[in-house]
Amino acid sequence: MHLVHFAAARALASSAVFLFITVLLMATAKRISTCIVLFSAQCAIITAEILAMAYVHKSPEAYAVAALVLIVKVLAIPYALFRIVKNLQAPGDITASTTAAQSVFIAAGLILLSFFAVEPYSETLRVDTDMLAAAIALVLSGAFLMVSRKKALAQVIGLLVLENGIFLAALTTTFGMPLVVEIGIFFDLLMGVFLMGLFVFRIRDTFEHLDVSKLRRLRG
Amino acid sequence: MIWLNVAQALLLVAIAPLVRGVIARLKARIQNRRGASVWRPYADLAKLFRKEDLTPPSASIVFRFAPMIVFAATVTAAAFVPVVHGSALLGATGDFILLVYLLALSRFFLSLGAMDGGSSFGGMGASREALVSALAEVPLLLGLVAVAILARTATLAGIVQWTVRQDFTQISAVHALAFAALALVAIAETGRIPVDNPTTHLELTMIHEAMVLEYSGPSLALIEWASAVKLSVLLALLIAVFAPWGMAGGVSVPALALATLAFLLKVFVLALAIAVVESSIAKLRMYLVPDFLGVASALAILAVVFTALMR
Repeated sequence: MHLVHFAAARALASSAVFLFITVLLMATAKRISTCIVLFSAQCAIITAEILAMAYVHKSPEAYAVAALVLIVKVLAIPYALFRIVKNLQAPGDITASTTAAQSVFIAAGLILLSFFAVEPYSETLRVDTDMLAAAIALVLSGAFLMVSRKKALAQVIGLLVLENGIFLAALTTTFGMPLVVEIGIFFDLLMGVFLMGLFVFRIRDTFEHLDVSKLRRLRG
Repeated sequence: MIWLNVAQALLLVAIAPLVRGVIARLKARIQNRRGASVWRPYADLAKLFRKEDLTPPSASIVFRFAPMIVFAATVTAAAFVPVVHGSALLGATGDFILLVYLLALSRFFLSLGAMDGGSSFGGMGASREALVSALAEVPLLLGLVAVAILARTATLAGIVQWTVRQDFTQISAVHALAFAALALVAIAETGRIPVDNPTTHLELTMIHEAMVLEYSGPSLALIEWASAVKLSVLLALLIAVFAPWGMAGGVSVPALALATLAFLLKVFVLALAIAVVESSIAKLRMYLVPDFLGVASALAILAVVFTALMR
């Protein structure tokens, strides 16, 4: 029991660091498959954090949420994305408009920005500064991944990272939403990924590539 | 105390070829080859020391003395790194900045010697080395600065003694980022894949091998040994700054034996990591190397900024 308590405390204290590392790695990643694995790892970190919170606050609902995150985000969505990548038979690179070094610099800047952004609120909300900053950093860098990546699938992953950030912000500020709402969000997300997958296939079939910077034919 | 510090610096110099041999052997095993004996680098050095030292007719005195300065500077750098206990031979006389620039001095003279050799390959290798080392200097210094700010001391021995007192389950963002930056720098500085391929001898993109093409005999042996020592110095630096737990607290035979064993084990783990990375990824194009080191710089800068944010 002592060991579980220790592990929970450590998971809460160091998960922000690991989330920053996944964000920075995503900024450097050159292939879609790397991004998907990193997204899965990011969700696994969040799962560990929810488990630790559930243990510390003795909340059975949080265990259910952790199980949902594990099934939907760590396993189902990466699996679906890998299936899409395999069936698309398109080149697996992400073609970013910034180089890896520039991306890391920008992601690092966004992490710093989120620290300064949450500083005034962490006092009044009485939440952990690191966790809230990690949540805001995920939102910002998810948005950054969406605007800097040219391939449609990489932008989908950016959106998923952004969603992770919103989820984490809700978790740290209000200790999660009611379970029913949470389940609704997860199914929304799953449907969203399937819809985006279909959309990606349509882009490929219509334009024969996934590079959204070349989608100019729609102009009237 | 002094004999112990001499012994640990000599240990670092003596095991350097073995580390290379172990990495080569591990790589061979991963790639389903049998591989040469781990002691082969020693045999290579012994063979080279017995051979004749040839100098190109166009070369000046710089060509003759460069290998000795390279070796001397690298071995001096080895005397700064705590290996088995929390102090080093020259630990009190200089800080980590001196260590970084001793390695830079060795690189500078290696490049000079390469250009003095007169072959076009030497000049190409020297200019590439200058590019890589200029870009690698920033993350190497800043990564160490970040840890030094946390430890509130600039000497390596002080940083090590501070880190040993910390709880190793407390993963701080600063340490994670600085470690990532320094690991990338160590790869670039020692000319491993993906920056340079240490096993190639005839490739247009080679860096280190292009510089030493004109050297032969004892001079080549000194340069090769120095580059092996540099690898083990950087590995020992990573171990000392980020994972020094297991170092001997006092001077007693069992504690020192245990510390030596722990050190060798950690070096083996790092060697295994290098072998896995080198077997699984391809060498970068030369134009992508600045990008690789740019990532390291970004991580190092972030580590320094985080020292102010996360206490």
